[in-house]
Amino acid sequence: MADNFVPPGQQRYTRACMVCSIVMTQARFRSEGCPNCPFLDLKGSPEAIESCTSGVYEGLMTIADPKKSWVAKWQRIDGFVQGVYAMKVSGSLPEDVKAAMEDEGHVYIPRDGSAVEQD
Amino acid sequence: MSDLRDHDQPESEDEEDFNPAPADVSDDEVQNEDEDDAPKRSKKASPARHGGDDEDEDEDADGDGDGDGDVGGGHDDDDDEEDDEEDDEEDEEIQGHRRKRRRDKRNAFFDIEAEVDDEDEGEDDEEAAEENEGFIEQEEPGDYGEASRLDDDRRHRELDRQRDAITQEDLEREAQGYVRKYGNRRPARGMGDTGVVPQRLLLPSVDDPSIWGVRCKEGKEREVVFSITKRIHDKLGTKDELGITAAFERGGPNSVMKGLIYVEAYRQTDILAALDGMLNVYPRNKLLLVDIKEMPDLLRVQKTPTLEPGAWVRLRRPVKHAGDLAQVLDITENGLDARVRFIPRLDYGLRDDALAMTQDGKRKRPVAGPRPPQKLFSEVEARKRHPRNLTGNPQTNNWTFNGDEFEKGFQVKDIKIQHLIVKDVNPSLEEVTKFTSGGEDGVENIDLKSLAASLKDSSANVTYLPGDVVEVYQGEQKGVIGRATNVQADIVTLEVTEGDLVGQTIEVPTKGLRKRFRTGDHVKVIGGSRYRDEVGMVVKISEDRVTLLTDQTTTEITVFSKDLREASDIGGQGSLGQYSLLDLVQLDPTTVGCIVKVDRESLVVLDQNGEPRQVMPSQIANKLPKRKLAVAADRNGSEIRPDDVVKEYGGMGRQGKIIHIHRTYVFCHTTATTENAGIFVSKVSSVSTISAKGGRVNATVSGPDLNTMNPAKKLNPTGGRGDMPPPKVTFGRDKLLGQTVTIRKGGWKGLLGRVKDTTDTHARVELHTKSKIISVPKTDLMVRDGYSGREIKNYDNRRPGGPNGTPARPSQDRATSDWPSGSRTPMAAPSSRTPAWKTPSAAGGGRTPAWNKGGDGGRTPAWAEGSRTVNPYDGSRTAYGSGSRTPAWSSGAKTPAPDHFGSKTPAYSGSSGDAWGSKTPYGASAATPGASGNDTWGYTPGASGSSNAYDAPTPGAGLLGAPTPGALNAPTPGAYNAPTPGAMNAPTPGGGWQGGWGADSAPTPAAAAPTPAASGFASSSGYYGAPTPGAYNAETPAAGPRYTDDD
Repeated sequence: MADNFVPPGQQRYTRACMVCSIVMTQARFRSEGCPNCPFLDLKGSPEAIESCTSGVYEGLMTIADPKKSWVAKWQRIDGFVQGVYAMKVSGSLPEDVKAAMEDEGHVYIPRDGSAVEQD
Repeated sequence: MSDLRDHDQPESEDEEDFNPAPADVSDDEVQNEDEDDAPKRSKKASPARHGGDDEDEDEDADGDGDGDGDVGGGHDDDDDEEDDEEDDEEDEEIQGHRRKRRRDKRNAFFDIEAEVDDEDEGEDDEEAAEENEGFIEQEEPGDYGEASRLDDDRRHRELDRQRDAITQEDLEREAQGYVRKYGNRRPARGMGDTGVVPQRLLLPSVDDPSIWGVRCKEGKEREVVFSITKRIHDKLGTKDELGITAAFERGGPNSVMKGLIYVEAYRQTDILAALDGMLNVYPRNKLLLVDIKEMPDLLRVQKTPTLEPGAWVRLRRPVKHAGDLAQVLDITENGLDARVRFIPRLDYGLRDDALAMTQDGKRKRPVAGPRPPQKLFSEVEARKRHPRNLTGNPQTNNWTFNGDEFEKGFQVKDIKIQHLIVKDVNPSLEEVTKFTSGGEDGVENIDLKSLAASLKDSSANVTYLPGDVVEVYQGEQKGVIGRATNVQADIVTLEVTEGDLVGQTIEVPTKGLRKRFRTGDHVKVIGGSRYRDEVGMVVKISEDRVTLLTDQTTTEITVFSKDLREASDIGGQGSLGQYSLLDLVQLDPTTVGCIVKVDRESLVVLDQNGEPRQVMPSQIANKLPKRKLAVAADRNGSEIRPDDVVKEYGGMGRQGKIIHIHRTYVFCHTTATTENAGIFVSKVSSVSTISAKGGRVNATVSGPDLNTMNPAKKLNPTGGRGDMPPPKVTFGRDKLLGQTVTIRKGGWKGLLGRVKDTTDTHARVELHTKSKIISVPKTDLMVRDGYSGREIKNYDNRRPGGPNGTPARPSQDRATSDWPSGSRTPMAAPSSRTPAWKTPSAAGGGRTPAWNKGGDGGRTPAWAEGSRTVNPYDGSRTAYGSGSRTPAWSSGAKTPAPDHFGSKTPAYSGSSGDAWGSKTPYGASAATPGASGNDTWGYTPGASGSSNAYDAPTPGAGLLGAPTPGALNAPTPGAYNAPTPGAMNAPTPGGGWQGGWGADSAPTPAAAAPTPAASGFASSSGYYGAPTPGAYNAETPAAGPRYTDDD
């Protein structure tokens, strides 16, 4: 697994995936895509990265053990890879991407805090 | 037990599907040997059996069925032996056994095979089909022939098979769809479990790791999290793998959780190990264990309010515009960027030169200077400095300048939403108007809706006060109405006044509260909207929008209920800054106005020309203090003052009470109209007095002049000598005002007080003893000196216009009373002067007649004489004081330079050359002793002072106006030319004097009388020498302030 560490100088280029909330540098999104959301096809697609990830996020967390961590469970990222995630990702996924996700059977959990209010 | 069994009997049909008993029987025969083990196994499996596991069921049942009597007891024993799982379960178990057993017996001879088949099939559809077949088989034989029956049967089967196949296909397809949809999720993303589980089921339990808060350096939270990430990665798979499961931060400039990171781990030591030696984080400090209940709160996220086009925001970036108001034009689809417009702060490259100076390739950082003011983009300015950098289209008024876009003067820019302040924007009307006034058509189109939305968002300024009637509009207690009894931070305690909960006290967060009003309530707008401070009556309420009819303008306005308060006061706002309603203000050097309306940010001023103007407070030069003593003459020549009631002559004939008099304009208040708050402005020359305040008698009594109608008078034109003197004419300020008095009569007798106000007959006296103002007849007052407390006699006589016409000041009287000894005279002089300055009007009064009526000069000496007459001078001095040199002397004695000139002035003007001649010697004589005094009297300073004094008054005299230069010109040479001889022939001037006054009939004798005394003067010239310098000394400086005061 790749190093999730982002040196302070690069931290301003980090973006968070709007689907799984993983935080990586833009360059890594471009070279590897989102490790949890392969269906977004972010790899090598700056446009997709632009629309499906957000540079505005809050509450950075690093998940060492997604299976055991309650934080991960609460954030519904317990099935994802180890790495750095955001608690809240501002911005919303384009509607067509959302629709495509639903069609493929993926559940979209909004990461911008709008889902919490419904509970 | 038996009850239960009986009861269960009917249910057996249902049970059958799940626990098909016949199978037991078949198994029973096969597995006869196992009977001993079976019960145990069944017990073990019993919890699971309820899930419907057929095999267990079978075994269980067959064991029981076999050893009917014995095993039943053994079974019970077993149950007891067994783990005491759940009693209910046990019961059911027993029931099940009994039931099955009985059924076994009953069904022993039934077709078992079929049922077993049934069992095997499992699929409901097929089962149903099978049953159908069975039915058909059973019933058909009687109805049809054999062949047809078989054929029909075949066709039916075929149909059924087809149907089955189709169903099967559908199901398969459906299953495949599900697999495709959800099947790949588990392996690929693993979120299947929690993704669909509601979050409340994910609440932490004791089995989950704990969370500790760890102090860290503020602003370095994210770095720390990344450092932890790195360490996790480094240690992964090694023997000292980190024990922590997660770490997170909730930092941010506005977060309360900044300076902390949170680490999730099973043990605290794991955290210490994980963070040991890490920069910016301090695990050695106390670790804060987060309570399990608070853990979800720690991760709570709130949705950022979505921006709507048209909303108002404030900018954080660009730094030059930090804090500026901006309007959202558009938002990108992902909601991360907003296109906003704002007023640019451009200097059009004025400071570029400074930046360009650095030639070494490095770009100098722009120095943080004063940022340019907000101003709409000007194409002209831009073209002037950097025409090359300007591109655009003048038609659409869209420009690009130095890389920035401008539309209609506003700068337009895409800005990330994190650089916008969305909450608590509170745009002020002034700011908003800047945006709207940009429209070329000049039509203001403020989007009040968006403004309202921006204002509504900021709940920070909602204030509830005890006593407010509030309504809960969201939350559990929605609909509850009550009266706030206590407000603490954002919790309002309210006593319920309506509904089921009447009388109860509940606490509600302000978030879910709104104020409640009823139609007809009298309310005041307390903030938030541009109607602040308007007061009015509620006419309509819809949700939280309240429409009210304002008191002042009787227009309908709509505001949010949160901005309202029940109002106890009426009218409206009184003031804006230092300006309040009805104040007189200076608009420009030539214009004054009276404030007739105070708005939230502007004022309406009725100017002196009667034009109402809307002005900002900044447009007002200053506020003119209200002058209570302002006096003017109306068209009849009557004196009018503030608070008098006057009526316009001609014009609209409006009648009103004077509130301001300014030069020739009078501002009056009338109750006849509400226009301009009832204020109208008029010229003093076009109003006439209706009633004067306090029943003052005016100079010109309104009404016909009865004298002219009196036939007796007409018959006897010379008459009038025996007539009573005309009523006293008071003009100017009543001298009694401000005087210290004692009351001579009545209940207040003997008490000391100060006169606050007077009418013709009464005075309102503020008592010194107790804070009370009483009205006392003037005749019952005794005037006392404010300092010494000594009584001042004949006070009334000394009032201007008194019987002897002496316009003497009371202060002067007091001074004279201090004069018994000649030696103190110089001292007395200054003291006498001091009050004289204080009451310039009195001094003016003394002088005024002299100036105005040179021919009246006769009275002037008389006045001087009069005032001296009462003085306790010895005869000789009195005589000579009242001699031809009287004015001069009086000037010397009374020192006040103005008086000096004043008294002389009439003499000059009145008596022309001769008078000069006569006085010249005097002046000389006065000067001479002064000069001689230089040697003999040792008054060197005094003498020099006296000579200075002659110089000094000269400019002073110049200030006095027209007559003065004449006076100066005349006396000065005269004084110098003739001093010595003049002094010698004292009578001569006297003669001249007399001649000078000869023109006047009455005063002449008076003047003549002193003449002989003038000789006396010569003898006591030394005496004069003394006072004169003293007098001049003191007077010279005094003259300055006094004149200015007069002006």
